[in-house]
This record gives sequence, structure tokens and C-alpha cells, in this order.
Amino acid sequence: MNLTGMRHHAETDEVDAVVIGTGAGGAPILARLAQAGLSVVALEAGPNWEPTDHTPDEIDAASIYWTSERLSGGTDPEAFGGNNSGIGVGGSTLHWGAFCPRPDERDLRLASDQGAGVDWPITHAELIPYIEEVERFIQVSGPADYPWDPARRYPLPPVARNAPADLMAAGCDALGIRTTDSPAAIVSRDVQQPHFGVRAGAINSGATHQGDRVASKASMDVTYLPLAVAHGAEIRAGAMVHGLERDATGRITAVVYRKDGVDHRQRTRNVFLCGGGVESARLLLNLDLANSSGQVGRNYMAHPAAQVWGRFDRPTRMWRGWPSSLISEDFVRPKEKDFAGGYLIQSLGVLPVTLATSMARSGIRGERLMDLLEHYDSFAGIGVNGECLPAESNRLTLVDEVDEVGLKRARIDFSFSDNERALDAHSVTTMKAIWEAAGAKDVFVLNRTAHAEGTCRMGDDRDSAVVDPNGRSYDVDNLYICDNSVFPSSLIANPALTIMALALRTADRFLGR
Amino acid sequence: MARPTLFLLHALGLSARSWDGVIDAIGDGLDVVALDLPGYGDNAASPLLTVRETAEWVAARIREREPDEWLIAGHSMGGKIATIVTAWAERAEHGLIPPTGLVLVDASTPGPEPMAEERRALMEQWWASGTISAEDAAAYIHANTAGPIPGAVRETAIADVQRSSRVAWLEWLRRGSLEDWSDEVGVLRTPTAIVVGAEDPDLGAVNQERLNLPHVPNAVVHEVDGAGHDSLLQYPGEVARFVTGLAARVEGTAALPPAFARLIASDRVSARTRRVMMRRLDGPGDAPRVFSPAQRALLTVLVARVLPQRGTDLDIAGRIDAEFAAGHGDGWRFAELPPDAEAWRQGLDTLAEQVPDFAALTGAAQEAVLDRVWDGGIGSDADGRLTGSQMRLWLKDVQAEAVRMWLSHPAAQAWIRYDGFADGGDGPRKQGFSTTHAGEWEPWQRDWRTGKELQA
Ligand SMILES: Cc1cc2nc3c(=O)[nH]c(=O)nc-3n(C[C@H](O)[C@H](O)[C@H](O)COP(=O)(O)OP(=O)(O)OC[C@H]3O[C@@H](n4cnc5c(N)ncnc54)[C@H](O)[C@@H]3O)c2cc1C
Repeated sequence: MNLTGMRHHAETDEVDAVVIGTGAGGAPILARLAQAGLSVVALEAGPNWEPTDHTPDEIDAASIYWTSERLSGGTDPEAFGGNNSGIGVGGSTLHWGAFCPRPDERDLRLASDQGAGVDWPITHAELIPYIEEVERFIQVSGPADYPWDPARRYPLPPVARNAPADLMAAGCDALGIRTTDSPAAIVSRDVQQPHFGVRAGAINSGATHQGDRVASKASMDVTYLPLAVAHGAEIRAGAMVHGLERDATGRITAVVYRKDGVDHRQRTRNVFLCGGGVESARLLLNLDLANSSGQVGRNYMAHPAAQVWGRFDRPTRMWRGWPSSLISEDFVRPKEKDFAGGYLIQSLGVLPVTLATSMARSGIRGERLMDLLEHYDSFAGIGVNGECLPAESNRLTLVDEVDEVGLKRARIDFSFSDNERALDAHSVTTMKAIWEAAGAKDVFVLNRTAHAEGTCRMGDDRDSAVVDPNGRSYDVDNLYICDNSVFPSSLIANPALTIMALALRTADRFLGR
Repeated sequence: MARPTLFLLHALGLSARSWDGVIDAIGDGLDVVALDLPGYGDNAASPLLTVRETAEWVAARIREREPDEWLIAGHSMGGKIATIVTAWAERAEHGLIPPTGLVLVDASTPGPEPMAEERRALMEQWWASGTISAEDAAAYIHANTAGPIPGAVRETAIADVQRSSRVAWLEWLRRGSLEDWSDEVGVLRTPTAIVVGAEDPDLGAVNQERLNLPHVPNAVVHEVDGAGHDSLLQYPGEVARFVTGLAARVEGTAALPPAFARLIASDRVSARTRRVMMRRLDGPGDAPRVFSPAQRALLTVLVARVLPQRGTDLDIAGRIDAEFAAGHGDGWRFAELPPDAEAWRQGLDTLAEQVPDFAALTGAAQEAVLDRVWDGGIGSDADGRLTGSQMRLWLKDVQAEAVRMWLSHPAAQAWIRYDGFADGGDGPRKQGFSTTHAGEWEPWQRDWRTGKELQA
């Protein structure tokens, strides 16, 4: 993004706040604090890009993925790298899918509603105005009538459906499952974005996923970060935080980071840690900080996110169109089920390398792999995002290997509980039925998980939570955390919209609003 | 199938006609296009002068013919131009698709051309009056031929020298021949023949090997006995033989389906994307890097079973080896496995130890072994080996990495008919896709596997 003319702060100046990370959590906070007139500096480990720098090439796009090694264990080890985490000014929103459902009220009260998991310490009613504010600001496209929430309105009309969406709609119609255009954080036509300029309307390319060259997608570098910079925030790219200095009372006084091989130290009155579901906890564990509850790193959650694929008679060329242009919320609480929670269904178009590596990982190989790939241009997919219950044993810990700045690497152990297993099986049955109804052939299932949540959870009780309901650390009173890590339960909505809303709320609470 | 097109670029002062003898000897296996470069022959009045302008002009001539398969040959000055155009085309720049062959005849070099200073001064002196005399033109041809040439050939050459443009001559002598293009050219992968007159004083075999060969390391060097710098005037049949020899050797070896290569070269693709895609046409090289020769050989067999390529024949194992050597990680690994390259070495050693005859087994038997690995049934507790459960995880990595490597190659993308990388070039408005539904397509989309138009 354009950082010329940005305000600069001296390292010796004590700024009001340092924000670590510029993704879905960090960026809205940075903007809100800057708008309130505070002096703020964001430290971002990755580089700063212009939208036009991105590439549709799947391998080369690795430049926007966090590729410093993580170790993945448990019976359902999660894939990181391209599947899961971003780096750079804008964080994971550089390559998020922009599938933008709202969190469901029942999911925030999972324990009360279903007797499993935990309730959020925040009500849905309190979150919704923030959600709506984010949707307006980042300019979400969506249907005129949202079947599961008739009062809902989206700022822009929906983006074009693609072949997988058409096919899923047909299959669902046949089964009586309701569908509609997905809410997309992609503008469906050219719009002005304050302090950024023109965001071009969607160009109907699946590669939008891995860095949108026309800024149709609401990544933070074309939305909240230009807003922040316009109000005096400073963003330092290539700045990897690896230390937090504290005074005798335990309050943080400075943030230590490495840039171009040299350590720097920024004095600050407050810190907002927004490094994402893995990095925030890894930093705190490395520094042995904010962990009197022993909860840092615990309750790691990954959404069960199985996909079902099929081959169709006519070429789908599913790399065209926004990949997930159809949604169904009919399974938020499936009628007959033996698990807590539910799942969202979306149509899928996936680029070849990503899809084929998932296929290969799931055990498809040899002639069968080639038989399927021979018809790649006639594939269409459906996928889900389902509830994952918090479990103490699903956990991020440190190993002895160290990374480039000397921090110990993270090991993440993740195993499905019976609940995720039952939900996963239910979702696969549903998706297979839809594809059967739509006339798919060669149907195959890819078992996978997505997103990295939990590890610094928010709660009312300092013994079982890392941050309070305002996002403030129970142990260090000028430390706030806001990113994927504070989620007490996973919610079934894909997380970014909720994180952005939570970020605005965290900033408001800090500002005493 | 159409015949491959051969583009011919002449030397300083000469013209397309200098290739006449060669063209006669080539016969009709090739569709030959001999060009008068700007400043020479019928194009003497062209305002284009510099090496870059000349090379761009040649690129435009190639583009407008849209050859599916093409070769290029350059003589002396034309050799430098041919090399530059080949370098661009290998990268699908300037709208070009890669040639299948390059012939350098007594070719000038990508870097500054060695030329005795007195000779350069003399050649400038010839034009002092504004035109070059018949005597000086004759002296020029004489100096470049080590023996007699037919009178008609000599007369034509002298006439070409005299009708060439003075400013074009001086441009080449003072700047063009001295320009350093070696970085922009880099190392070419196009199969190349270097043809050199054994008696060529400045650009003979020694200098060819010193100055041209590093850019075309796979080239075969042919010396023409008794020939000077203008070997093609003296021994056109010999030169033609080397040209047709190369053309026969490379026929049908284009790395990509032509229509697909043209798509990559088109303005629907960004420069960054084009660069990385075309770079992948470079092979990994034969020498093992992180693997021992035995490990690499076994990996080759294993990968062939896991990923029986269709439509391509790539050295996937070699590419994986090179990737590890470059130290590119994908951001995570199974906690149960050692760091990537080490896990792969141990996995291969475990397989070699547990199933010593793996490479000799039938496909079905190899498949059965892989099923057992997948079920955790093959492994070892010994040091430096992977256990059954580790082998299972490692096999997942092998399968994923093999297909990732394969599909990253443009030829594999063409085979699966993928064109999602063509969603817009570097212009202010990215073209994107205007059709999104099944059974619809964009006017430019083809069945990339065959190059054919799409049918409803
Ligand atoms: C492929 C993919 C597709 C997705 N699709 C969707 C989708 O369709 N819908 C949806 O809602 N969500 C989606 N997500 C998830 C969404 O992108 C994330 O949930 C969200 O971006 C997380 O926000 P965050 O602030 O927690 O972390 P991030 O957005 O990851 O930001 C964290 C930032 O902190 C930086 N950082 C970390 N540690 C340090 C340090 N020590 N020093 C300095 N900087 C540091 C990182 O470089 C990064 O920029 C997707 C994610 C991926 C990977």
C-alpha cells in the first residue's frame, strides 16, 4: 500500500500504542486509535505490497504466506502455510477468501444453547452494530434478501455466481435446501474506498484469493490501513517483534523488533497484540508473559472443513468467478444430529495446485489421481465450515528449534473430538447428497480443517481465560490481544468479519467508549 | 502440421540475399523467412537503428507470422540479434513463444564483440565521404572470406554493402557491437548450433567458446574448414547442413502447446506471472543435490508411481531435489517428522532397506507396497530410519509435493486445460473473466491440451 507521506514516530518517543500485526485484528484497531487522535505504530513482520504486485500463480504467491516452519501434530494435524496464515501488511486478509458470513447468535451461546463448549462473554446484540459497521466500511456484496435473516441488508449487490454455485443451487433445490448468493467482502462493481481510491469491481477470477490485484477484495491494505495512515498511524513493514520490555510493576514499556537484521526498540504506553491464532500465543509463551491462567496456547480450534468434489458433464472452469459464491445456512442447527453446533455450506472453485495437493494428501495417487485431474476443468466443489469445540488438549506448545529471530517454534497438536468427528461425517453426507442430486460423477471427499483459533481465549474468569471481555490481558494491564486467538469458541462463521468487529470493539473499550 | 518457420538474420552490410545459397540447400522442410534488417537491403531507409530497436523489429516480424514452431539463425551482427530475440522468447516476452532452435553463424556476442581497433577505425573510415566505394565494399567482403566465392555472390554482397545505410553501420560499429547484453540474455535453454568458419579471425572457435558458449551451454560447435567470417557465402551447403540437422533434431520438441505459450506471452498475463511460469521450463539438472544418487534414483521411481504423468515427461524428482537445495519450505511439517530434506532422505533409505527391490517391481506390486506404507505397515525403528507411522506421513508429503511440482509446470497446466493465470496483465484494467457459468467460455479460451477451439 502507499505509505508515502505517512507520519513517522521516533523510537525514543513514547507512543500511545504499538499494534503488533496488521491483519483482520490489528488493522481496524490501528485505524480506530488513530482516528481518536492517538499516536500509534503498527509493527508488521512481513513486507508491504501494492495490490498490483500479487500474482495468480499459486506457487509464487507463497510470498504472502507465513512460511517460517510450524510443527503440526495430533490425530488431525492442521496444514499451515498457504492453507492457513498470512504475512505482510494486511496479514491473512491478503489471501483470505472473503467469504463473509455473520456469526450466528446461537453460536455465541453454544453452552446455553447446546450444552457444549462455552458461551462468549459478549452478546450477539452488542457485536452486531460493529459487524454492520465493518460491512459498510469494507463494502460487502450480498443478496437483497437473506433467507435466514430477512432484516439484513448488504451495501452492494452480489458478485456473479460461477459454475459450482449454479450446480450446488440445483442440487440443493432438488433436496429442498435453501441457498443464496454468499456475502462477499468483494465489491461487485467499481467503488470509491475512503483514503484508498478506486476499488475495481470483481474481475471474476479465482486467483483473487491469493492477493487481489484490482483491490476488489477487502484486504486490510486497501480498507482499514489507508484509513489509519490518513489519521496519522505509522506502519513499519518487515518488523518482526520478538521482545516486550517491562518495568518493575510488570507493565510493558517498549516493544523490541528486528528489521533488516537489526534490533529496534519502540517505547510505548500500550500494546495491542494481533499476530493471529498461532503467532500471538507463540510470542507470549516465548516471553513467558500473560499466562498466569496457564491458558496461553490451549483450546486451539480448527474448523472441520470437509469438501466434497464431483465431476460434471460440461466444463465448469471453476477458476472463473469468485470461488465461493453460494451459501446455505440451513445446517446451522441440523435437525437430526448427534453433535453440538452445526455448519455453513458454500460452493467451491479451487485452483489446481491447492486442490491437487489436498487430493494427494488425502491419499489419492497414481492412475486414479491422473484420471481425476484429467477432468479438472469439469470439477465443482462444496465445502463446509463447522463448529469446533474448545479442548484443553488441543494445544500450541514450544519446541526447542528456533526461528530466524531466535524465538522457539510452535508445535500445534490438534485432534478431532467425537463432536467434530460426528459433525464432519454429517456434513459429508449432506454434501454428497447435494452432489448426487446435481448429477455429479466421480465424487470424492477431502477431509480437512481450516483457520487457527483459540490459544488466548477471552472470558469472564481470569483463571480460565487469557484476556477479559474487553480484550485486555488479565496479567498485564497495558496489553490487549485481538485476533483469531481470543475466540472462546470457534463459531461456524468464517472468522475474519467477527475479528474485525471485535477489533473495533476492543479499540472502543480501550478508548473508554 | 505446418512446417516450422526459420527466420534468418544477416550480418553487417549484407542483406537477406546473403542467405540465398543456404536457403537453396535447405530445401522445403522449413518455411524460410530471410529478413532485411532495418538499415540494410530493402529496409535501408528504416529509421530504426539500435540493437534493441532492431531486435524489437525482428520480434514483430515473428509475431505477425504466429508460427507454432520456429527457429532462428543469425550471422555475425544478426547472431547477436538472434540471441537476444531467443532470450526474450524463452521468457515469453515481447509476445513471443519460445523457439525450438537457434543457429549462430560466426555470430557476434551478447557482450562486447572483440574487434581489432584498427579494423573498427578502417571500417568507419570507409564511410567518411558519406557513401562506401565499391573498392572498400569489396575489401570488406574479401576480408571476411578465406577463399574464393562465386562471382555473382560476391557482386550481390558488394551491392548490399553499398546500399546499406551509413548511420546503421556507424551505429553498429560505435555502439551496437559494443553493447553488453550478457545479463539480459543470461543462459539459454534453446537447443543451439554454433557454426564458425575455421579461419574467422575475430569470432573464431576460441572466441565463440569463450563468449557465446556460456550463454548457450548446450550448443554444439561446428567448424567449417577453410571458411572465414562469412562462412555462409563460401560454403552455404555446409551451413545449411548444420541448420537442417538442428531443425530435424528439435522438430516437435516445443516445451508447450503453441496456443498455450501464446496465451502466456499475451497481455492477459502479468510480467511477474509470465516470468515465474517460463522459468519453470528450465530443467533441474542431473546432479543430485540434497539426495545421494541412490536416493534420487529411488525417488524417481517412487514419484513415477505416485504421479504417472500424462502429457508431460518432467524430472519431478530432480525438481524436488532442487527445491530442497534452494531451501524453500511450505511453512509447516508434521511434528512427528524431522525437518523436510532429512525426512525425505530417511524415508527413501527406509524404503530402500525395507523393500530393496522396489524399483524392479511391477507397477501393481509397487502400488501394493505404497498401500502398505499408507497403512503404516512399512517402517523401521533403527536410527536414521522412519517408523511405520512416520512413513505414512512422509508418503503424504511425497504425494503432495510430487503433484504440486507437476502442476506448477505450464505444460501440466496446459494439459489440465487451466488458464486461470490469464486473469489480467499489467494494464490499469485487468481483463479478468466475463463468463462464469458452465458451458460458457471467453473468446480467447481454447482446449489448451490440443489448441483447438472450444465446442458447446
Ligand atoms: C487461505 C485462507 C482463506 C481464508 N478465507 C477466509 C474467508 O473466506 N473468510 C473468513 O472469514 N476468513 C478466511 N480466512 C481466515 C482469515 O484470513 C483469518 O481468520 C484472519 O485474517 C485472522 O486475522 P488475525 O488478525 O487473527 O491474523 P492475520 O490476519 O493473520 O494477521 C496477523 C498479522 O500479524 C503479523 N505478525 C504475526 N506475528 C508477528 C510478530 N511477532 N511481529 C510482527 N508481526 C507479526 C503477521 O505477519 C500477520 O500480518 C482465510 C484464511 C486463509 C489462510
